[in-house]
Amino acid sequence: MKKRVFIILGILTALIPLGLLTDSPAWGEWDKEYYKKILGFIPEGIEKAKEINAPLKDYSLNSLGDISSYYLSAIIGAVLIFMIFYFLAKVFHAKNS
Amino acid sequence: MHIPDGYLSPAVVVATYAVALPLWAFGFKKLKEALNEETLPLIGALSALSFIIMMLNIPIPGGTSGHAVGAALIAILFNPWIAFIAISVVLLIQAVVFGDGGVSTFAANSLAMGFVGAFVGYYVFKMFKRYKFAPFLAGWSAVVASSFLVAFLLGIEPIFWSKNGTPLYFPFGLKETIPALVGAHMLFFGVVEALFTGLVYNYLKSKKAEFAQ
Repeated sequence: MKKRVFIILGILTALIPLGLLTDSPAWGEWDKEYYKKILGFIPEGIEKAKEINAPLKDYSLNSLGDISSYYLSAIIGAVLIFMIFYFLAKVFHAKNS
Repeated sequence: MHIPDGYLSPAVVVATYAVALPLWAFGFKKLKEALNEETLPLIGALSALSFIIMMLNIPIPGGTSGHAVGAALIAILFNPWIAFIAISVVLLIQAVVFGDGGVSTFAANSLAMGFVGAFVGYYVFKMFKRYKFAPFLAGWSAVVASSFLVAFLLGIEPIFWSKNGTPLYFPFGLKETIPALVGAHMLFFGVVEALFTGLVYNYLKSKKAEFAQ
């Protein structure tokens, strides 16, 4: 089963640029200008929302093109997720012994 | 379905964290029991798979887009608690590293896409286990249920948190959020999740894979 999960992971990672085919945002995930346009104002909470300084905001790396950014983001994200589980396994194991 | 920062009122933020914290604690206990040399790469790979499919945005009519989640697949392969934690880890990375989904709304997003998706997917699968369509229906039900919680949390904002009739946080009520979010997930993203869950589940569980183990 393990091998097959990695095969699927590889195939879908290869297909990652397909995720860039649309510019449309998800419903309810609009930028602030959208509210200004539709409602005539930006709700206070949304206007003042403190967003954290995400290092790879919107899956983009400034110096790279869209497709390379998206590929690299996919790989970085996947590696970080693996690292978290390896770290948890280490912590759990250390506590057990 | 990733609720950004600023969309939910502080009261809802606090409430969702209060609900999520004990569930995370219990989920971690379950993960601790399940995580070993054999399962670690599998759980890691399935979580990474969930991260990848969430990046595959699919446009739908009406100028919006969406994606599958992958909670149901992990829930039926392992158990719903592992799936809940796995999706929470994915959402954390998305929020902190990629600015996708808020930090204040991390608990709400984990409860919707993780907890609700995982448990609905798991129980629907269990109920229809005898039938071939079980993993497909599990995937569809999971994201539709997730979208319902998101639609509810967003839709109650203007009802309770408005000043002189002006919404302070998310401005559209239930009458708009339910058809827009739940409708889109029933018609489009639920179908994608159904195909993803069903096809991957069948592929992983087919005879050849068992012999190869």
